[in-house]
Amino acid sequence: MPCMAAEAKLSHTAAMILQAISAGYVYGFSIMEVTGLPSGTVYPAMRRLERDDLIRSQWERQSIADAEQRPPRKYYKITTAGRSTLEASRRRYPLLERLMPTEEARSL
Amino acid sequence: MKSPSGVAFSAIQRTALHTASLFVPAAERQNWSCEWLSELWHVRSSYIRIDETISLQSQGEIMLFCLGAFSDALCVRELATQSGSRRPHIHGSAAQTLLWLSAILLLCFLITSLLPGIQAEREAAQFLINPNALIISEATDHSFRPSIPAGLYLNWKYTHQRFFQDLAFYQVTREPAQAGSARMSWNVARSSTNLFSLLGVPLKYAFDDGSGLPSVILSHEAWMRTFSGDPNVTGKVLRIGRGNARVAGVAPAAAWELPGSPDVWLLQADTQIATDIPYRTPGYLVAQLSSRGQEAMRNSGDGISAHNLEDLLIDLSATSVNAPVEGPWNLYGFALFLALVALPAVSSVSLGETQMTPHQASTRECVRRFVFLGAKFFLISGIGLFASLDIAYCSTSSYSMAAECLQLISCFAICLFGFRWALADQRHRCPVCLRRVTNPASVGLASRTFLGWNGTEMICMGGHTLLHVPALPTSWFGDQRWLYLDSSWQFLFADSGIY
Repeated sequence: MPCMAAEAKLSHTAAMILQAISAGYVYGFSIMEVTGLPSGTVYPAMRRLERDDLIRSQWERQSIADAEQRPPRKYYKITTAGRSTLEASRRRYPLLERLMPTEEARSL
Repeated sequence: MKSPSGVAFSAIQRTALHTASLFVPAAERQNWSCEWLSELWHVRSSYIRIDETISLQSQGEIMLFCLGAFSDALCVRELATQSGSRRPHIHGSAAQTLLWLSAILLLCFLITSLLPGIQAEREAAQFLINPNALIISEATDHSFRPSIPAGLYLNWKYTHQRFFQDLAFYQVTREPAQAGSARMSWNVARSSTNLFSLLGVPLKYAFDDGSGLPSVILSHEAWMRTFSGDPNVTGKVLRIGRGNARVAGVAPAAAWELPGSPDVWLLQADTQIATDIPYRTPGYLVAQLSSRGQEAMRNSGDGISAHNLEDLLIDLSATSVNAPVEGPWNLYGFALFLALVALPAVSSVSLGETQMTPHQASTRECVRRFVFLGAKFFLISGIGLFASLDIAYCSTSSYSMAAECLQLISCFAICLFGFRWALADQRHRCPVCLRRVTNPASVGLASRTFLGWNGTEMICMGGHTLLHVPALPTSWFGDQRWLYLDSSWQFLFADSGIY
């Protein structure tokens, strides 16, 4: 039961990364920027979250990347299990939501 | 326009990512590299200034970003290892058992192919010595001591014989010999040239160069011991006694069964035997019986009478030269047959099919079970063949009766106890998935045997069955029983998916 195990053991760092993905920061570098965590922490944490089915990754379509003349990126998206785990983590870390603005708030 | 330092930093950063990718399992490496190279491109883009250069400080930060790839690569590797351990492990499975048996069989086969004695036994079984060839000795002497003088042999050979169609003679003496720089002392059999043709023994690597040197035939044992089985030994000149002789061939493994245990046979014409061997020196006489001689032998047991050098009538006895050589396959077949016959004496042949629930096993399950049992029997039979040969011939490099006996006994023992193990193992295998049932739990009290059931319960870790084995067979619970677990048990088996 990976979800339950992750819910019980989610560290503050992992909860922050999950919160960032939930807030709309959907690729590694943007998560690094918003959380202030180094790449050596963010990417391994995302691998574990993906292993536990709390987030899901998806490659951007090549045509979109070609149109913008850049390499395609790998985007991360929170899953239903991830949302419930994040809810539990928010109860555990009440300041989690205030640590980072949502993507919508940032665009304003 | 990129500066040279920018190009150098870019190369270093990409090299760091490629180096880190080596830690990632090959199956995931390409995907991993694509992600990091893409991220690197975006990171570099975010640091590019208006003049399209990147500051030294930013390059340092990008380098730190790239160094984080090593942590990620190690993490991916660790996760891959963990997921690998979650794959269906074969511990206790049917596949594991068959793999082990196959490995043992292969090992035994490899050892067999390296042992020279096994080749010798196979060769010995390939030819049959002339069945009418007999060792003739004086009837009073059954100890295979030389008893027929050389003179008597020559006398009989060149006079008309009623009982003997052909005669050959040899006399064994201990003589010094030299082969190259090696000096040894051999049992040299000075024999008539027709000895091997009379016995019907085909020589290996037969050679005749017409040099006029006497021919010497090596016994298989001497060939292996002195010449390490060199197939090019024929034609070599040896010094035997006070003369030279040329190796004309190698006798097959069983030929040294002749009494006197000769190491080599020095073939000599009868005229030379008459001059070299004293007239009254006893030796061994090998004779091929005529039809009249065979009849006389049949009528008189195995004894006939003839005149000796003093023209006195002596009784002769005849002993067959042809020692029965069974060969590895005949012995193996016999041992296998004995093991199968004896199996019910050492083990119940029941597979413990009794069950507590009205479960109807599918045809596929039944076929799988019996194919698995058959495969175990087949592999054990193979192990019995090769392991018994290894045991019999590990310390001897040539054919011997003792080795044959050892092969028969060891093959019988290996097959018998191997089959016994196969049946016992089969009784403890889940009929559904063929894994061994585990976690034995003792249930009940032995002191209350007649009041309630007591014995051992074992469970299939795949969650299919529970096996009840009574500690003391009773009239109501005499044999082990299988309980097929229904879906209500599944919550106990959290990782049932791996089975």
